[in-house]
This record gives sequence, structure tokens and C-alpha cells, in this order.
Amino acid sequence: MEFVIDGLIKSYGSKKVLKGIDYTFEDGKIYGLLGRNGSGKTTFFNCINGDIDIDSGSFYLKDNDEKIALKPEDIGYLVSTPTVPEFMTGREFLKFFIEVHDEVTPDKTIDEYFDYMMIPEDDRDRLLKDYSHGTKNKMQMLLNIISSPRLVLLDEPLTSLDVIIAEEMKNVIRAQKEGSITIFSTHLLDVAVDLCDQIVLLNHGKLEPIDKNDLGNSDLKERIIAALKEQTDDQ
Amino acid sequence: MISEYLRTLSHVFKMRGIVGYNGLVYALKRLPLIGKIIPDRLYATKELKAVYLVYRILKESFLMFIGKILGLGIIYAAAMVLKSVYRNYEYAQGMSDSILYSNIALFLFLAYSLAGTLLNTNMFRCTTEKEYMVFMLRMDAKKLNDALFVYDLAKLVIGYLLAGIVAIICGAPVFVWLGFPLLAVFIKLFAAGALAFFYEIKHKHNRSMKRNIGFYTVKLSIAMISAPLLFIVLMNGGLISFNILIMISALLVIFGIWGYFKLKMLDPFLHRKALQDNIVRIEAAEYKRRSKDNTRSFKKIKAVGNVSSSKKGFEYLNALFVRRHRGMLYVKPLIFTLTVAAITGLYIYSNIREYYVRFGSDNCLNMVLNNLKNLLLMKRYDDNLLPFDKEDTFMLFLRWLSERHLLALLIPISLSDNTFKSTQAMYINCDNSLMTLSFFKQPKKILELFDIRLRQMFKINMIPAIAYGVVADLILFYSGGADHPLYFIATIFVSLLLCLLYSMTDLLLYYLFQPFTTTVNVKSGAYMIFSVVKWIFYSMVFWIPCRSDILAVILIVIDYLYIIAARKLVYRYAPRTWRIKS
Repeated sequence: MEFVIDGLIKSYGSKKVLKGIDYTFEDGKIYGLLGRNGSGKTTFFNCINGDIDIDSGSFYLKDNDEKIALKPEDIGYLVSTPTVPEFMTGREFLKFFIEVHDEVTPDKTIDEYFDYMMIPEDDRDRLLKDYSHGTKNKMQMLLNIISSPRLVLLDEPLTSLDVIIAEEMKNVIRAQKEGSITIFSTHLLDVAVDLCDQIVLLNHGKLEPIDKNDLGNSDLKERIIAALKEQTDDQ
Repeated sequence: MISEYLRTLSHVFKMRGIVGYNGLVYALKRLPLIGKIIPDRLYATKELKAVYLVYRILKESFLMFIGKILGLGIIYAAAMVLKSVYRNYEYAQGMSDSILYSNIALFLFLAYSLAGTLLNTNMFRCTTEKEYMVFMLRMDAKKLNDALFVYDLAKLVIGYLLAGIVAIICGAPVFVWLGFPLLAVFIKLFAAGALAFFYEIKHKHNRSMKRNIGFYTVKLSIAMISAPLLFIVLMNGGLISFNILIMISALLVIFGIWGYFKLKMLDPFLHRKALQDNIVRIEAAEYKRRSKDNTRSFKKIKAVGNVSSSKKGFEYLNALFVRRHRGMLYVKPLIFTLTVAAITGLYIYSNIREYYVRFGSDNCLNMVLNNLKNLLLMKRYDDNLLPFDKEDTFMLFLRWLSERHLLALLIPISLSDNTFKSTQAMYINCDNSLMTLSFFKQPKKILELFDIRLRQMFKINMIPAIAYGVVADLILFYSGGADHPLYFIATIFVSLLLCLLYSMTDLLLYYLFQPFTTTVNVKSGAYMIFSVVKWIFYSMVFWIPCRSDILAVILIVIDYLYIIAARKLVYRYAPRTWRIKS
């Protein structure tokens, strides 16, 4: 299965943020969407998730040359500043989430899910409004695990997490990559190199792939930085 | 030194120009419609910046002129009026016009200046502008404070000299015109020097240099008490003699000179420290005021109560939401219900009591029981001893409303309905966080939750609606009963159907336009337009007279069709607008 983007354009007023993106993502891989602050990574995700209107272009899933329209239930979106329904406890939220996803047959109990995400026991029956940033992030990740969407969009999920939680999250993302297309946005080059199978630069409002075979190459960082600098110079 | 002041002031004006101009463009860009066509390059347009700078200078000059005219100009004019009044008092006997005028003007001026100085000593107040310049741009705090202080004094002198034209017209001697501005400068120097002196002592004792609110309150109280006292003294022909006032002025000049040296000797470090301790974030406070964050009142949630395990999915979500937002959802409708019940109860009680006093306990008991029976059987109020007064115009008006004009119930229903606030709570505490999740934007699921919430809103708002219906029935019963018992039932039905109509409209508008920002402010032109249209519609229809039974049938049809239409609209359009607004 592939996720295909065809000529995606998005502008804010006179500023063109996405200038005709054409790209094909393959399943089973983690794509590191690398771009500088303000390069349009979140805009790109919001367009795909339908949170903002696009100016033109299209995107769809492709399975054996068959085009499949992307439906909301195909997408799992983890935003950088996680928001959760504050009046519910973690357990209540998971119960609700599992119940509304009647198409999903959970392979674990709620507590097993919590254990899998290493969410402490004393947090599970507390209101979500009292959760730390990291635990809210884990909750969002857990929703993606339960609903198993075909396309997973992770918008800087490791930003502002402590080292331990960031490492736990990385392991979960790696473990979940099979069977879905994961696009992971970050402005941290080291994180992208460490976690992703393929790096894609959001450059000049377009996506540019970095050859997978180059990931081990020591010159890679310099080349990426040079490409991103070029972007700034152009702006 | 003067060139240094001028250089510092030019930096300040540049900063004011940039902050003011950019703020103006930013505000314009936020305007609906116009904002979208204003290009970003407007921030960099030199010509417009120059125009803005001219505007600022004109504005500052105008404010200065108006301020001084209002202050000193009024004092001069008041002194002129008081002079003619004082001519009749013993105090003024033998005084020349010029001395009498000067005496009154100096008295008023000293009172005004001292009160102003007590309340308004801003030298060490750190505005956002000073904060930027000292703490971000690392400008010398003493240089900045001194330059701004000298600038203020210059404005004061020029303004007072201009206002002095009024004094000259009033026939004041030249020393009043020239002397008052100088005296004002010395008073200002004294006040600022005194503050510097207090700060030095505070610093010596390692105490914060923050302006003392308690001390400020005392000063404010003194100023407020002094004003009426001054008025009483003047009204009774009393005045402090000119010689004493001259001596006080001379003392203030000496204090002013002391203040000047105190300021001159104040350590530059203490200037910076004093500013640091007195930061006032004006722009931040102003921005906060303009873009009011209303979320705080919605965040008082406690993990109380569980929900029966039989509830699943969205039913479970809704039940939990209601559980944890009980106060927010129920208090307003309950207050209205209890108020209506209390007023009605008191009215009935006062009638029964009057009956008891006039006709004794047996008759009273009979009346109450008989009429209770009649009420339950949907008959009419019946009593030979105190029958319904057919001449009671107010009661006949209420009867007319209850029988022929039940659409007027839209008024109390609109007051007690809590759907708008409930949708705010739904958005900020629930939907806002779920909107990024794909399942929440599926048409079927949106509609499922809409149905549940519509039922819930109706359940909440029907409590006062029933109360209004019951009151209308009591009026009907007391004022001669209904033509047909069905009327009693129709009345309550009409009230409930109107309540459903009202709640559904607010909920539908929320689903179709999702107008709220993350601070629960409304940001949707379409939502606002439809809200206005809704009110125009209500205000037009509630005048229409209609028999209750016919109205009930019409409303059943309208509500039914409205529900079908609303569900179709939500299914079709809500998935497109179900988004987070920043």
C-alpha cells in the first residue's frame, strides 16, 4: 500500500507554504519529515488530516494500482501539543475510545495497554487534565495503537519530552511501523536519522527524499544542513 | 547633557513608533475581510511609518494640551469665578483683585499639584516600553529615566505656559503665569526625589523596591478625603492666607532642589533595580483584556462520580461529561426554576393567608382542598367567598397571554436556556481535544453525538420550561379555567416544544459553524449573523397570537421537521466545520 500526494498546494494569504507537493510514501516505513521551524510541517499534516482546506492537489491511498480515497478513519494524528478531554480519567477515555471503534477488536485489556505504554498505575484513574505532557503524548500514541490507522502522522511527538519518555516513545513508534505508513515530523536532525527509515526534506514548499542508503553516511548531516540553509537563503 | 537626553529620547520615540505602528498593522490584519487583503509588506512601508510618527507626535501634543487645559486651565477659570464670590466675604476685604486672584489660584494649584503628585509619581514605574529598552536592549536605566523625566517636565512647563493664557485673560499677574509652571517642576522634583530616598532606604535594608499598594491606598484615601474638605472650606469663605501659601511654595522649592540632588546622586544600579521591581506589563495586560481568555470558568472539573457500565461509547462520553459539569450545566436552569417556583409559591401563600385571616381556618381548608381537586381535574378556581375578580386587569392580561399568546414564553425560555454555555463547555473540555482524532470527524459519529446532546440539552432546559408551563396553567385555572381541559396539557406541551426549538437552534449553530476559539471566544462571522437572524426571528414571532391547542399541533410539526432538517445539515456540513480555531 502507498500514500500518494499529487500537486498539493497551500497558501496563507500571499505566502505559499506548500508549493505543489508530489510524493509517494510506502507502508512499513517511518518517514522523517525534516524541515526548519516554520517550514510548513504542521500545515502539511493539517492539510492531510482535513483540519485546513487545501488550495489544490489531491492525496489518496494506492493498493495494487487501485486508488482508495483517504477517509478520516484511515488517519492517526498525534499533535505536538497533545490535547485530551480533561474531564475524563485515562481509563475512562480508553474505554470510550475502544467502544466507539467498533471496527477494532482490541487484543489487550485496558490495563495491558497502559502497561504497554508504561503509563504508571496511579495515573490511570486520574483526570487527564492532571497528566504530564509526556503522559498525554503517550495516551495519544496509545489511541493510534488501538485504532491501527493506515496512515500515522506524528507532529514533533518527542519535542519537550524527557530522555526516558522520548526513548520509550521511539521504541513504540518502531514497534508499530509494520502495516502502516508513518510520517514523523521533526526539526531535529539527530532524531530523524536515529528513528526513521527514510528522510524527506520539506524544502522550498516541496518534499525532497534523501537516499535511504545514505543514512549511514557521515556526510549526510552536512548535506541536509546545506539543503536547509539553501532554503533559508531562498526565502 | 542635553544632546544625550535628546539621543535617548530619539531612541524612545523610534521604539514607540515601531511598537505602535506594528501593533496597528497587526490589529488591522486581524479584522474580518479587510485583514485578508492587507499584505505583510505593510509592516515594512517607510512612508506609512513616517505618517504614523507624525500622527503620534500630533496625538501626544494634543493630549498634552488638553490635559493641561483641563487641569490648570480649569483652576485659572475657577479662581476667576471664586474671586467674584469672595468679594462678598470678609476674607477679601481690602485685597486687590490681582492678589485675591493669585491667592485663590495658588491655593487651588497647590491642592491640585500635591494631590496629583501623591497619586502619580511614575519615574520608577517600569512600563513595557521601559522594560524593552532596559532589560532587552540593555539601555542605561538612569539615562532613560532621567531623559523621560526631563521630557515630562518640559511637557509640563510648555503645557502650563499655554494654559497660562487663560490666567492672563482672567487678569492674573505675570508671576502666576510664569511661577506656577516652575513651582510644578519643583513639586515633581520633590516627589521623585522623595521616592528615590525611600528606595535607597529600602535597598539598604534589603527590601523590595516594589511600589507599596498599602501606601498607595493611604495616599488615594487622603486625596479623596481632601477634595470634599477643600470644597467645604471654599464654600464657607475660608482660605489659607496668601503669605502662608507663598511660604509653603518656597518650602516646596527648597524640597524640589533637595529632590533634584537626590535624583542626581541616585546610584544607576538602583534605577535599574527599581524598574525591575516595578514592571507593569501594559501591552500584555491590554492584550489579555482584548482577547479575553474565558476558559478558566470551564476548568473547574473534579473527578467525581462514576457512570453506569451499561452506557457505551458516546452515551458514556456524554454521561461522564454531564456528571463532571453538573454545576455548569444545571445551575442556571435550576436558579430560574426555583425563582419561578418561589415567586409563584409566595403568591399562592399570600392569597391563602389572606383568606385564612378573613374567613377562618375551616373555610380556608375547604377552599384549598376543593381547588386542589379542581386543579387536578383540570376544572376552574371556584370559591363563593373570594371569587376571581373579573375587573383585575393584570390577571386578565396574564390570562390572555396564557390562553392566546404562548409564543411569548420564548422570552423566559431564552433567558433560562443554557445551551450556549453548554456548547462552550463541550468545545473547550471535550470536542476541542477530540477533533484531531479521525473518528470524531466521521459524519455518522458526529450525528450520533449530536442526537445524544440534543436529548441532553432538552433534558436540562426542560426543567424551567415545565415551570413556565405550570405557571401559565395556574393563571388559566385561577382566572376562570380553560375552555377545554386539553388546554392545560397543551400549555405545558407548547412550553416544552418551544424549549426544544430554542435548544436545538443553539446546538445546531455550534455544530454547523464551530465558532469557538481555544479561549472560547466566538470567531465566526456566519455564526454571528445566524445568531442575529435567530433573535430577529424570535422577536418577530413571539408577538403572534395563537390558540394553545392549535399552537401545540403546529409546534409538533415544526419541531419534527426541524429535527429532520437539523440532523441532515449536521450529517452533511458538520464534518467540514468540525475544526479547531486558534
